[in-house]
Amino acid sequence: MIHTRGLVKRYGTHAALDGVDLEVPAGSVYGLAGPNGAGKTTLLGILAGIRKATEGEVTVEAETGEVAVLPDTPRFDPWLTGREVVALALTLSSAGDAMTARENAERVDEVLAQSGLTDAAERRCGGYSRGMLQRLGIASTLVARPSLILLDEPASALDPQGRREVLDLITTLRGHATVLFSSHILGDVQEVCDTVGILHHGRLLFQGPLSDLLVGRAVPRYELRVRGGADAVAEALAREAWVSSATAAKGGIVHVEVTSLADAERHLAAALAATGASVVSMRPEEVSLERAFLELTS
Amino acid sequence: MSPWRLEFLRLTRTKKWVALVGVYVGFGLMGPLSARYTKQILARVSTDGATITMPDPTPPDGIAQFVSNASQIGTLVVVIVAAGALAFDAIPEMGVFLRTRVSPAWRILVPRIVVSFLAAAVAFLLGTGVAWYETWALLGAPRAAPVLAGAGLGVVFLAFVVALTAAVAQRMRSVLGTVMTSLVVLIAMPLLGLAPAIARWLPTSLANALADLPAGGTMNDYWPALGVSVVATILLAWAAFASAGRREA
Repeated sequence: MIHTRGLVKRYGTHAALDGVDLEVPAGSVYGLAGPNGAGKTTLLGILAGIRKATEGEVTVEAETGEVAVLPDTPRFDPWLTGREVVALALTLSSAGDAMTARENAERVDEVLAQSGLTDAAERRCGGYSRGMLQRLGIASTLVARPSLILLDEPASALDPQGRREVLDLITTLRGHATVLFSSHILGDVQEVCDTVGILHHGRLLFQGPLSDLLVGRAVPRYELRVRGGADAVAEALAREAWVSSATAAKGGIVHVEVTSLADAERHLAAALAATGASVVSMRPEEVSLERAFLELTS
Repeated sequence: MSPWRLEFLRLTRTKKWVALVGVYVGFGLMGPLSARYTKQILARVSTDGATITMPDPTPPDGIAQFVSNASQIGTLVVVIVAAGALAFDAIPEMGVFLRTRVSPAWRILVPRIVVSFLAAAVAFLLGTGVAWYETWALLGAPRAAPVLAGAGLGVVFLAFVVALTAAVAQRMRSVLGTVMTSLVVLIAMPLLGLAPAIARWLPTSLANALADLPAGGTMNDYWPALGVSVVATILLAWAAFASAGRREA
């Protein structure tokens, strides 16, 4: 759905994007992860056609009316009601041309309900909170059923419940539209995306299925929590043959990297008992996108 | 919710129509009134040492007083109202909302230019109508044909002002920058017009036609400025449409 080749965007001498080759498969939920300033918004702006690349090729297999973009802090004319904003988005996209007035109104009601704005639909959006504006932005993005949706940090302004709802909403789009979703909240990306791109200092460090990123970096590891004496426990475990390394961290946490999870399951309990430590908890550490990201960018 | 209704709501909900109509109708009421009573007012403030004598006011004076008051402040309000609608990139997130949905980008501008112009023209014509009526009531009826011709030329001038604002807005991309730059251009024109050979070609001279024609001026004085204004309005609108499609470099 989206292909870029050697995409470069320079602001003066600073390269906001530096040779990005992006491949977003049709129908995927693609998570563009990276810290603030990585170039995510610049990349989305170029894909949306509102910024111009300095070098490189961009192919977006969708017409303007089929692409919907949600900026990170959506803003609308404050004297419009929420319903009017969504209705305007539908009219402008030209998708509404093929529907009757009644169908348009029903579609507007439907996305307002999906976005949790039914009760506030008749209020002027100048009085909306930041979270409500974000929901309104999502509603106006989805209303025309676009085939390509570009979302820039869509959940960053929301409270936990609103964030949960937005992530669920994005999940439901899988298969119906191609979604390119940027976020610096790696947990959100890991939760809803099937394909991931890691952008750092304008360079795409990784791109591919989320499972490839996580499995490729999977090192069997346990996290223990003991009451006091974490250093001594780490030291004792490090001497075991099936332990690759053991390090103590704050709060009585001990990270134990093992040769295999099977060895750990067989020997760890006994080894801990031998140290005489008071064990609060013990669990295998899952490889998170955050850890993979830190390893890639370190 | 069509883009045309959006522009109508922009005028009504933000009360910008009140500013437009208020200025023109307000001066339409005050102009003939002040022309009618200026002589009496000045007679009252005359001192023993100085006496100001003025000729009796005529119907053209009533219209001229409206034009002298309304042309500058009215134009300022028209520029401000138009800039608020036309500088749609002033808030980038709003620009993104429009630009990613409407292609080509000039389609965003058309309703904004047309509605801004119509609002300005209707307010100006209302003010002219009020000034005309009050002049008739207080000073006698001015000749209809010159008033209508002058009003028509004033409307052409407003079209030029809106087109200029549209072109500037697509370059400046901020409301304040658009207002200031447009005003600088509009103020610079009368300065150029101090050279008589140039004055009759300048669009700004049309703003005075409503005062001049009822007072005995002829249309022949305004054909050059009318031609230049029409051509400039078309070129400025074209420049605005072309610039609207320009992406950030």
